[in-house]
Amino acid sequence: MADVITVPQVQPVQPALRFLRVIPGVLLLAAVGYAGKLLEQNVGAYAKAHHWTFPNIEYVLWAIVLGLVISNTVGVPELFRTGVATYEFWLKAGIVLLGARFLLGDILKLGGVSLVLVAIEIAGSLAFMTFLGRLFKLKPKLTTLLAVGSAVCGVSAIIATKGAIEADDEDSSFSIAAILALGALALFTFPLIGHALQLSDRAYGLWAGLGVDNTAEATAAGALYSDAAGKLAVLVKSTRNAMIGFVVLAYAIYWASQGQAKSVGNKAAFLWQKFPKFVLGFLLISVLATYRFFNKDQIGALANLSRWAFLLTFAGVGLRTNFGEMRKQGLRPFAVGAIGEVAIAGFTLALVYGASKIFGW
Amino acid sequence: MSAEAVGAKTGSRRKLSLDTWAVLVAFLLALLVRTGVFKHIPW
Repeated sequence: MADVITVPQVQPVQPALRFLRVIPGVLLLAAVGYAGKLLEQNVGAYAKAHHWTFPNIEYVLWAIVLGLVISNTVGVPELFRTGVATYEFWLKAGIVLLGARFLLGDILKLGGVSLVLVAIEIAGSLAFMTFLGRLFKLKPKLTTLLAVGSAVCGVSAIIATKGAIEADDEDSSFSIAAILALGALALFTFPLIGHALQLSDRAYGLWAGLGVDNTAEATAAGALYSDAAGKLAVLVKSTRNAMIGFVVLAYAIYWASQGQAKSVGNKAAFLWQKFPKFVLGFLLISVLATYRFFNKDQIGALANLSRWAFLLTFAGVGLRTNFGEMRKQGLRPFAVGAIGEVAIAGFTLALVYGASKIFGW
Repeated sequence: MSAEAVGAKTGSRRKLSLDTWAVLVAFLLALLVRTGVFKHIPW
């Protein structure tokens, strides 16, 4: 009887409490992101007023760096952690809203090219990471997680695959740490290489979308180069994300055939469950924009809402990256990830270079 | 009602994924912009 009484008392409070628990962290995301925006506006103006030579640093980088400094010095207090973890929610909402800036024809044209490149990238990355995992004698399921994380979409792919192939928690922690550490490095190296090679916005956006694993880092790496490159990086990365269900299903079937995971019953339901729904939201908003459901001012407003959502995301990328925690996960998976990522970055750069020669970008 | 039964009952309730929530919130915002509730979003 006591159970009957306690349940109605607890249930209505839980969602409200859960909502209240995210508020401090979301405010921290907003504060760090907005500080990044203020720094972008004021540091450049201050340097110019004092005739200093200072590079124009975008709010994206300021927000990430501020977050990194907080996370790796004073740390993020427990009170803020639940809210900081919502950065992925803002990322996905931002991507859906960004759909308003794409016309369906552009998506089909660019999406078609990127789909071919994504298919080549996924096949090449899976094969190479599997080879590296065997070479370094990593556990087979750890190798699978690293391969999926670097070939498809970082942390989300690792979490989806972990459940499907019944991998250990330790293996998924290793893989997530390696992918996140390498994603943080890519944030700084990709724009530098892009500028050094004088890549066009289109070529760089394609490269960032193909070569950077985690969606948040790919979005940030693109936005660090230019607005146009950022838009394209999101489109290409979303195409990669859309492949997640197929890759996870293939691995689930493989590990089930080895007797080391549950067999997959309804494959269509499995694919739908793993499919990133925000990709559909992105497409639907772009269909609405294409058929003039929104006027020009409204599209501008939606684009700005998307920027605000990304501002919270970029602050979250910095705040959740703790190099000390990553070091604790061990060196071997990180080494495999690092070698793989460098190879994949080179491979995808060659793909983009080839495509830019063919299509004259 | 046992604790297990309560757990089973609450567990069977369909929960929306983070992705779905993000899509719903984005569409709600788009609707508010479309209907003129949010007229101008500064940047």
